[in-house]
Amino acid sequence: MTAVTTYFSDVFKGLWTAMVGMSITLRYLFSKPVTEMYPDVKPKTPTRYRGIHVFEEEKCIGCYVCAKACPVDCIEIGVVRKGKEIKITKFDIDYQKCMFCDLCCEPCPAHCIHMGPEFEKASFTRRGTILQFATPKTLTEEEKKIEKIAKK
Amino acid sequence: MNELANFLPTVLSRSGLTVPSALIPVLAMFLCASIMAAFMGLSAAVLVWAERKLAGHFQCRLGPVYVGGKFGWLQSIADGIKLLLKEDIIPDQADRPLFRLAPYPVVIGVLLAFIAVPFSEKLMVTDFNIGVFFILAVLTVEVFGVILAGWASNNKWALLGAMRAAVQMVSYEIPMGLAILPVVVMAQSLSLKTIVAAQSGGALHWFVFQPPFFMAVSFLIFFIAGLASLKRAPFDLPEAESELTAGFHTEYSGMRFSFFFMAEYAGMLLVSAVASALYLGGWHGILPGQESVWWFLAKTGFLIFVMIWIRWTLPRLRIDQIVYVGWKVLTPFVLACVVGQSLWATLR
Ligand code: SF4
Ligand code: SF4
Repeated sequence: MTAVTTYFSDVFKGLWTAMVGMSITLRYLFSKPVTEMYPDVKPKTPTRYRGIHVFEEEKCIGCYVCAKACPVDCIEIGVVRKGKEIKITKFDIDYQKCMFCDLCCEPCPAHCIHMGPEFEKASFTRRGTILQFATPKTLTEEEKKIEKIAKK
Repeated sequence: MNELANFLPTVLSRSGLTVPSALIPVLAMFLCASIMAAFMGLSAAVLVWAERKLAGHFQCRLGPVYVGGKFGWLQSIADGIKLLLKEDIIPDQADRPLFRLAPYPVVIGVLLAFIAVPFSEKLMVTDFNIGVFFILAVLTVEVFGVILAGWASNNKWALLGAMRAAVQMVSYEIPMGLAILPVVVMAQSLSLKTIVAAQSGGALHWFVFQPPFFMAVSFLIFFIAGLASLKRAPFDLPEAESELTAGFHTEYSGMRFSFFFMAEYAGMLLVSAVASALYLGGWHGILPGQESVWWFLAKTGFLIFVMIWIRWTLPRLRIDQIVYVGWKVLTPFVLACVVGQSLWATLR
């Protein structure tokens, strides 16, 4: 190619490629925006999303397996056992430490702890990030004596 | 403006005010100036909103949505209030008087140019017999402000931006000025009113669609050079956010910054308006006999849309590429157009 033809083809190419690019952006102009209106409209988390745990207290047998499985030791369980009756007095998960690894949920023999869809649990205090899953109970003196609290 | 000056005494006497007749022209001038300034400020606000909204949708986003209800249409007003309330910071090492002075040439350049824009046959401040030339001349004042701002800021990024503005200006002003010549040759006049009037009678009489299409090419060149004169992408080198912070207005804040900002958007409106008056038939509609200011605004709006569209499509050029485009592509092409159109006009 001579210099002259290169020049003209360059000018043409410049205009042409600009037009191609503009056609692409025009297509995008009329396509649906991908924006999620987050604080107004909460996004749907996918199934199997690993969010804040869901704990089914009535099923829990207080076996501490989850607390033992946790690699960062952030589960704290308190349990009162009287014969066959099991009272979960404490089931705290410290979300400052938790890394949502799902390791606590798999070994649970009663299948009562799961990873949930919730994710908005930010807090302004350190205490606020420790979530208490067990329903608060008043214990008798006798029960207080046999309450076992286990971290690991 | 003269009509306004003739019209004012009746209005004033009806409303029971007495004004010395010597003051009437002054009053008319003052009115025109304030209307133009208000128009410029308002249109800048609308354009900023439109740009942000369109930019959002070009990128599959939404743009502003919250302020003022559904479409975020009060966003630029809110931004304006924010800018008004901000502290006006002048750097310690800056050249204070020049730093303070710099935003004014930029705004005044654009505001002055609006005087000659023919919105419709009646609706224009004044019809200069050298209207096009006047607009080009006052638009260059803007560059002085930019260079002044860059120099007075005493900041390397600002100075780099200003130098780029100077380099860029030298390479686009010539094609921009020359691109007007084919139209002037065709209309035999420099007055914008006469030029638009020469394009009456439907879309086929607009200068872009006139065979042998020298004017269509020069329209393209005028538009590209106009983009460069507005410092808009892909020619936004003087600002170049990713390299120069904000280019020449890096050190500006508050009201002074908003002057630069407003001038850019009002400049968009101006270049689009001049382009639609020169090439797209101004206030004439697509069918013969249609005449209204709305046609003019619609064409201007469309050109502004194209400007925004280009901005959100093309990446920024390098400075040597801009100089190349200005001197080696636009200038030869526009010269060919001028010569071709003149030959066509004489031989016909
Ligand atoms: S998800 Fe992982 S880190 Fe969090 S509590 Fe369960 S085992 Fe511990
Ligand atoms: S492993 Fe399951 S059953 Fe055992 S303490 Fe944890 S949650 Fe309760």
